[in-house]
Amino acid sequence: MGGLGRKGTVTPLESQFPPEEVHKATKQFQDAIAEKNNELHVLQRFVADNNNLVNLVQKLPEQLSHDVMVPFGKAAFFPGRLIHTNEFMVLLGEGYYADRTSKQTVDILQRRGESLNSQVDSLQAMINNLSSFVNVTDSEVAGGLVEIREEYLEGDSEEEESESDSAIEDVPSVGNDTSKEVDYASFLALMDELEKKEALAEKNGDDSDQSEKTTDGFDDSPYQRPVDNNPQNIEGSNEAIPLDQRSNRNVTSEFPKKHNHQEYIADQLNFANLAVQPQVKEGKTLAQNVKSIDRSAKPPIVPKEKISQATLASKIEVQHQTSQPSFDSLKAFTGSIIEHGENLEKASREQSSTSQVSGSQPLKPVSRFKMQRK
Amino acid sequence: MDNLCQQKIQKYEEFVDKRLKPDLLHATAQRDTVFEQQKIFADLRRNIENLEKNSVTSLRTMVNLGSEVYVQAEVPNTQHIFVDIGMGFHVEFTWSEALNYIEKREETIARQIEEYTKLIASIKAQIKLVCEGIRELLEFPAEKPSPQRIF
Repeated sequence: MGGLGRKGTVTPLESQFPPEEVHKATKQFQDAIAEKNNELHVLQRFVADNNNLVNLVQKLPEQLSHDVMVPFGKAAFFPGRLIHTNEFMVLLGEGYYADRTSKQTVDILQRRGESLNSQVDSLQAMINNLSSFVNVTDSEVAGGLVEIREEYLEGDSEEEESESDSAIEDVPSVGNDTSKEVDYASFLALMDELEKKEALAEKNGDDSDQSEKTTDGFDDSPYQRPVDNNPQNIEGSNEAIPLDQRSNRNVTSEFPKKHNHQEYIADQLNFANLAVQPQVKEGKTLAQNVKSIDRSAKPPIVPKEKISQATLASKIEVQHQTSQPSFDSLKAFTGSIIEHGENLEKASREQSSTSQVSGSQPLKPVSRFKMQRK
Repeated sequence: MDNLCQQKIQKYEEFVDKRLKPDLLHATAQRDTVFEQQKIFADLRRNIENLEKNSVTSLRTMVNLGSEVYVQAEVPNTQHIFVDIGMGFHVEFTWSEALNYIEKREETIARQIEEYTKLIASIKAQIKLVCEGIRELLEFPAEKPSPQRIF
């Protein structure tokens, strides 16, 4: 084992999950299945009732009147007849009733039937899922399965890996005895070493992660959008995006910057008015969120006045950026802004001169968030 | 001695849990159904009295077909009413006959409720008795038990 540089443990599943526990769990599952089955029966009865009712409603208008016993309370009847057999009153819910014809009533009932059927289907799927789980567990317990844990060693050569692969495949047949022979002292030493390595690797990995994020984060930076999205930008900066961006950043503390932003605001207002309308009411929350972003993004020399200017600008920009039709819910909106803020903070601290990216990429964080929502 | 005591206590507890309490549940459920019937007949009596007072001869109403779908129905002659007398039988009555019947029926129902109430009370008393016996077996001091709901 030591020669291979691989350490592992083999634990029989039985030792971790004693049989009686497993049986208990299985019983719980079976109870759950029985419960679901009852629900299913109830639903199926509803479906049958619904079908009968559809038939009845279809049949009723065939005659002008039907002789029936008209119920009077729960314990009494009057001999009478149904009249206006093509007029039905259907409960829509919440105590609202609608006058419908036979045909319309049948439509309503069929829609109800569809939703019932879908419920039946989902319940059926749930039952199948549960019972298959029970079957798998039972067979696993019966089969005397073992759990194998093996350390992953970085920098292993290909041959070793292939070797160890074959070793893994061998282990189950060998059984749990091999695990007992592990030399624990050397094992622990190796573990320590590995932990150190891991810690080191984590640091490196973190760095690389963050540099990855910086590109993302920087896309959201308030300076990106106006340049990309304002065709009428008077500064003419949209031709040379990367350079201009950087120069913009460098002159943050100077007056022209402020001027710039004011123009942005005007432009954005014109430009965004078309799309942003629904978001205007969320402006307040946005402004709060964006303010924090902005402060961290700026060099500390910037006077406060300018920050507020930039904040105003970025507020509008962010509104614009996120004003896609699929993105109008209030909650989701603020959520996305917070996420950007985190990225941006890291970005501004560690790397300020990341290369700018094309105009299509600022959309990326939004789509990423959309993925999260699903 | 101790062992014997333990066994006895266990037996008594089993009797309470497996016999008396289910009985109690059953009796309460039955009494509830009788209460339901009482309400139905009280409603019916009130309705018939209303019809009499307003001297209604024909009636228009809505019939529930199920799933809250209603159709209009017409009763050309309200003089004859069919009342459920139990076991799935309905008897054709005139209004006065129906009122007589309902009165008698309500009497029986009231008596049934009385019986069930007595039964429930006796089951509760038995539960209490057995619990007291267990207490004696355990030789706890005969202090006043804390106000505790047995059921």
